[in-house]
Amino acid sequence: MTRLDRDSVSGAAYSLDVPAIETRGLRFAYPGAGAPVLEGLDWHVPQGAFALLVGGTGSGKSTLLSLLKPEIAPAGERAGELRVLGEDVADMDARASAERVGYVFQDPENQIVCETVWHEMAFGLENLGVSRDEMRRRVAETSYFFGLEDWLHRDTDTLSGGRKQLLSLAAVLALRPRVLLLDEPTSQLDPVAEKNFLHALFRANRELGCTVVVATHQPRPMLEYATCTYRIEDGRVREVADLASLGGREELLASGTCRPAQGEAPGVAAIREGWFRYDRASGWVLRGLDVAFLAGAVHAIVGGNGCGKSTMLSVLAKTAKLQRGRMMRGAASAALLPQNPKALLVAETVRDELMEWASTCGYDENLARERAAQLGLDGLETRHPYDLSGGQRQLLALAKLLLIGPELLLLDEPTKGLDLESRRIIAHALRDHAKAGGTVIMATHDLDFAEQVADDVAMMFDGEIACVEPPADFFADNVFYRA
Amino acid sequence: MIPQAYDERVTIGAPRPRFGLPARRLCCLCMALTAPWRWRLSERTGVPVNNMREGSGGEPVAAFSMSHPAVPALYIVLTLGLTMFSMQPVLIALSLAGGLAYGFATRGTVRTLGALRWQLPVILIIALVNPLFSASGSTELLRIGMRAVYLESMVYGLCMGGLFVASVLWFEAAASMLEYDKVLALLGNTAPVIALMISMCMRLIPQFLRRGRTVLAVQDAIDVPGRAPADPVRSRLWASSVLMGWGMEDSLERADAMRSRGWGAVARRTTYARYRLKPSDVTALVLLALFGAAAVAVAWIATTQYSFYPQLSVPAPWPGYVVYAAWMALPCVLRAIDEKRFG
Repeated sequence: MTRLDRDSVSGAAYSLDVPAIETRGLRFAYPGAGAPVLEGLDWHVPQGAFALLVGGTGSGKSTLLSLLKPEIAPAGERAGELRVLGEDVADMDARASAERVGYVFQDPENQIVCETVWHEMAFGLENLGVSRDEMRRRVAETSYFFGLEDWLHRDTDTLSGGRKQLLSLAAVLALRPRVLLLDEPTSQLDPVAEKNFLHALFRANRELGCTVVVATHQPRPMLEYATCTYRIEDGRVREVADLASLGGREELLASGTCRPAQGEAPGVAAIREGWFRYDRASGWVLRGLDVAFLAGAVHAIVGGNGCGKSTMLSVLAKTAKLQRGRMMRGAASAALLPQNPKALLVAETVRDELMEWASTCGYDENLARERAAQLGLDGLETRHPYDLSGGQRQLLALAKLLLIGPELLLLDEPTKGLDLESRRIIAHALRDHAKAGGTVIMATHDLDFAEQVADDVAMMFDGEIACVEPPADFFADNVFYRA
Repeated sequence: MIPQAYDERVTIGAPRPRFGLPARRLCCLCMALTAPWRWRLSERTGVPVNNMREGSGGEPVAAFSMSHPAVPALYIVLTLGLTMFSMQPVLIALSLAGGLAYGFATRGTVRTLGALRWQLPVILIIALVNPLFSASGSTELLRIGMRAVYLESMVYGLCMGGLFVASVLWFEAAASMLEYDKVLALLGNTAPVIALMISMCMRLIPQFLRRGRTVLAVQDAIDVPGRAPADPVRSRLWASSVLMGWGMEDSLERADAMRSRGWGAVARRTTYARYRLKPSDVTALVLLALFGAAAVAVAWIATTQYSFYPQLSVPAPWPGYVVYAAWMALPCVLRAIDEKRFG
């Protein structure tokens, strides 16, 4: 594959002096919103850079990136200059934009359009009316570059999240873009898949010469690949000189919140010699699992993809039944928060959402309001749940479950893709729940979160619990598996 | 209330593609098309299958598997036509035998015999019911009240039943010879948008089912004393509305992902096809067309000369039947040759 920066297939050859992205005095406001999201924004990304764009939720990262792709740019008032590879973005038609600027979205589930891997790879090329022979060649090349040949004929739905995201990247690169924009591309992935994805991205950058811009609120894993980093704040972008400042770990719990010493607490749930598989033909997901959880504590379950964490939660939630062994649950009540909070959301407003189970579970509106305020949802009562940010949506789902007052709270990846603020709120909510005598069992990839919030950490491997230790011991002893 | 984000896109008007179906509408359409599957959610337990097991996608061994899809397509169209329009006992028996043999060869004994468990009763029922509705013929078997039951109409019913089951068998054979990506390749350049819609539906249906199971599992997991167990109908309605909201929301992002990869950029999409029409395929098509013409001629002669009423004609031995039998046995023979070639 020729390097994309020397490639002349897509028409004009660009001199390297032209910046990949250049904005001058950019201003953007959403319709109806008072203050503009972006104001007087000057930004300059050189060609061939691996740039990070960091900033909190609502800082305008995604808005800025999508303004560079006219066909997905949000509606609103825009002023100022916006150039990609020296060309005004407003002059780019859909074809030019697709050929020059690639865009990878956050959610691996939603951006895959076609049923099979090969068809997904060809989707963009089909849209541009590329001839069959040229398509074959591009799909072949791109597959080899990413090592996709082994799963070329698989159904996209059966791929893991990491592979789905890798496929999205490959499908975009099949169009041979010169600039690649990515909006939180790894926030839904587990740490191993995240590393894999970043490495593929790094190769696209260094070997193909593709300019890469990644918007993220967790820049830590990407720092070693980045050549420059920008922070977006108050509608402006400035370069971050001190990269080390981004690599630090954030405190999730205020230092005042200490964890209670573990006394003799009663057991609340246990699995004895549990065996489980989804059907006769597939392998065992749980293999003689032995585990017990004490009341009044936060338990974290960590481990790689497909190690059986979610399955164990389903068994504890009584939605999956062990084929052999016993599950004992002492808790009077329980609830399960699924990986995607959308599985819980059904009402038209946040208020209705919180009140959905009021009559059947016995709570009133005051309690709902109080709970919402505790989880940082005050002032959002009349909003539609789908108009909330991902973090707020997760908090809403959690608030909804906490309102029914479950003694045993089961959480599947409660911090997936969330920003620092939401993670802090969840950390406090879980500690409060344990303090009030409740029990929390969470499956998570967020090792930072497990270390700071949990009372004990269990590592699951191959359908069994490999070890259970207090977080300090657990992370002190781990050589390979750490945050 | 419509989510605001949705509203803005629709009313204020994000840049729309100039050609083809707007991406979001296509997404919604696909969501709607998945609706009939929603009621199948109950078949599985509500287990969240987040850690998907990864299976391998091997190519199944079917007849014509090495040819361009046009070859099996021609065979299937002709065979289904022959089967459905030849109302003649010998031809129906031959077609039924061919379909069954192919079923045994590709789907295995157990599954083919298993399907016979409902197929044989269907033939019998049609055979027994037909005389009650059509009282014609000359050989009276018995009388039920005022109605006479004639042998001829019972044989006619038997043939109808056989024809129906033979068609079902050939449709199943069609599914194995023409997998969906081959259909896609055939549709491809004539109807690129329909081809893409099929592909999107195939992608969305399993996702929809998986999500449905998750939603029901979340509902089931809520265990509060005093709370009545969820009523299955209500909880499915609840699941449907959760899934609808979820799907609509996702369709916004999917539409963006489609647009960002050039959806609607040119007036005419092309279709990536894994198959090329090679000279050997053209030869196969010509030979198949000639063979097919002979089979159609045989079917035409045999069907027009045969009559059920007023008296059953008795089919005489005729070389034409050999041609018809050979046509129906063709996929089995081809498959056997393939098997032998690969040991």
